[in-house]
Amino acid sequence: MKKVISVLSVILVFVLLFAFLNLLLSPKYAVEFIEGSMIAEWYFSSRDHDVIFIGDCDVYSSFIPSLMYEQEGFTSFIRGTPHQFVWQSYYILRETLRHETPSVVVFSVHALRYDRRHGDVRDMHSRTPMRNVEAYNRLTIDNMRWSRDRIDIIRASMTEGESFLSYVFPILRYNSRFDSLTREDFRYLFSRRSHTDNGFLPNENIQPLGALPARRIHANYDFYAENMYYLQRMADLCYERGIDFVLIMPPRMFPHWYDEFEAQIREFAAQPGVSYYNFLDSLDTIGLDFSVDTHNGGLNLNVTGAEKLSRYFASILMENYLSN
Amino acid sequence: MLKNILILAISLLVYAVLGIQNFLLISISIGTTFIAARCFGSKYRRIIFIVVIALNAGILTGLRFLPFFADGFSSRVAFWVSLGISYYTLQVLSYLIDVYKGKYPAERNPFYYIFYVIFIPHLFMGPISKFDEFKAEIDAKRPLSWNNFYAGALRISWGLLKMFVVARRASIIIATLSEKPDVYTGGYALLAMFMYSVLLYADFSGGIDVVLGISNFFGINLIENFDAPYLSQNIKEFWRRWHISLGRWLKDYIYIPLGGSKHGKIRQFISLTVAFFVSGIWHGVSYIVWGFFHGAFVFLGDKYNTRFKWLNRLITFVIVSFLWSFFIWQDNTMLAIRMTSTVFTNFNFVDVGQNILNLGLTLTDWIVLGIFAGWVFVFDSRKTIFINKIKSMKAETKTALLCAVILLNIVFGIYGFGFDASDFIYGDF
Repeated sequence: MKKVISVLSVILVFVLLFAFLNLLLSPKYAVEFIEGSMIAEWYFSSRDHDVIFIGDCDVYSSFIPSLMYEQEGFTSFIRGTPHQFVWQSYYILRETLRHETPSVVVFSVHALRYDRRHGDVRDMHSRTPMRNVEAYNRLTIDNMRWSRDRIDIIRASMTEGESFLSYVFPILRYNSRFDSLTREDFRYLFSRRSHTDNGFLPNENIQPLGALPARRIHANYDFYAENMYYLQRMADLCYERGIDFVLIMPPRMFPHWYDEFEAQIREFAAQPGVSYYNFLDSLDTIGLDFSVDTHNGGLNLNVTGAEKLSRYFASILMENYLSN
Repeated sequence: MLKNILILAISLLVYAVLGIQNFLLISISIGTTFIAARCFGSKYRRIIFIVVIALNAGILTGLRFLPFFADGFSSRVAFWVSLGISYYTLQVLSYLIDVYKGKYPAERNPFYYIFYVIFIPHLFMGPISKFDEFKAEIDAKRPLSWNNFYAGALRISWGLLKMFVVARRASIIIATLSEKPDVYTGGYALLAMFMYSVLLYADFSGGIDVVLGISNFFGINLIENFDAPYLSQNIKEFWRRWHISLGRWLKDYIYIPLGGSKHGKIRQFISLTVAFFVSGIWHGVSYIVWGFFHGAFVFLGDKYNTRFKWLNRLITFVIVSFLWSFFIWQDNTMLAIRMTSTVFTNFNFVDVGQNILNLGLTLTDWIVLGIFAGWVFVFDSRKTIFINKIKSMKAETKTALLCAVILLNIVFGIYGFGFDASDFIYGDF
């Protein structure tokens, strides 16, 4: 018996050491690649929001929850990560709705044009390299809490060559970081650092909109079936809970948004409980000026642009969905 | 018996999972050699022997030559139907020859024979076992024990450490240096050859450690395949220490039957040439020249030895490393010769020193490679002593050692997403 206890004690010491190394070698997303920490911020919020925003950079750089609260008095939270795929948005929404029931869920439809490998639906040959897709997966998933949703999002997102086990034990992915540990890794070993205002990641830089490439004619404009499937599942989740599902097309000047895309979204939004707003149609009303309101040449808004859009959209939400 | 059936079932299952098409050729090998050996009592034994030897050797040789002469579909077919064929063909041939020579009687129970050929741990990278030795292991009583567990687990984790920590780092350098041969001078070629020595030993002996470790779990002891080969004082000794089971096979079934060293120098030279020609073919058509050079050096024996052991070892290591160039630039024999010659004609070591950190490894990687390669060298050259020491350790010490090696693997290993510098190299042969 004494021998068994000795052996088990040795194993325990190594398990603890393994756990410590797991923590130490995992990226902290505290100073570099801070977008990787955004998914976790919702866990530390009150989880009783009136509005939940779901999507990628189009939501986390466009809406300011604190400003909308000041203006209209409703609470909101943005659950967005870089290049968040549609199926990832579905699982993140599913996780969110297990803990709270907002009145409105807002989803940015621009992500529908990207396929599993993050290639634009229009141009199959311009796919993002697999390594980058894996990096985006990591930014979205690494800091999610363990639940059925996390298991499902991993299974749905893994690229070729990735293993589920490396999500369970991040050291299997990040072991090479032993070479590049910094003070940040020790400082945030057991703590975290908040970077956002309820999911909003401010960017104060200005990079005005330049000349845009010409629109091209393509053979096929249909969104990927898989993306539409997950969009429908999101709509169903909301419908079952009596939540308004609001689709938005962000004020993004590039890549071009085609009429064929618009038609598919409008057709989808015709179903009960779903509505759709295309901010590209309301640029003047919103007051956006792409010589000063964007931080990356018209792709995403900076803080001034986000302020304008938030004021505009907050009143729409209040008037149409939250006034009761 | 139940345990043996279970092991065989697992072996068959794993082999099937890797591709049901693989059963085609292995079934032919098992079927023809088993039946032929049973027919050696007849008056046609000589004809049967020759036909079945020719059939099995012919299939292996054909598959070795096929990719050389044909590309595309036929090469892919050859690859997919022949998983493990290099190893199991030598095993079935050794069985057939031994039975024919009356070393032991033909096996009556097909279970033993199938078990011997298809035992999954040794199917893909050896060691190349002999039937009588293997059957004795199958028959030996081997209860499950903690000792076997520790021995197996430690051997496996040690093998993985060699592969993931040492071999994969070396493979990154090889991948960089072999990609653009025209860019690199003789200094780089020399570095590539030395690194390949490290890579091939760590990768192959690591793989064998895994095989022996898994076999240990089952209580089956297979022949050791390496005995500190880079400590050899000449190439003849090298072949007694490197890929021991292949060397033994070539000696027992090619070299000695052709006369060995007992019929004069010319006959010995011919026997050696044929044996190493077979070795070259076995590795692949591109390796025939490599096999010839090794044969020539084995023929020389200890002729070039000095009275200094360390110098003999160094010379032998350099020769072996130079000859690995045929493996590094395996698709182009002339390029391999040219790269080897640049060591003497265009050696620029200053350039290598300045660019050492531009070859794919960071300074830390070089340090890790150096420390672990040194550790592997020290441990493997005193393997028996260490193994005996470990056996006598307390259970908690063994557990700590095992956990430590696993943890070192996890932290310092190169694996997982995106790594493609090398697969298991000897799996190709």
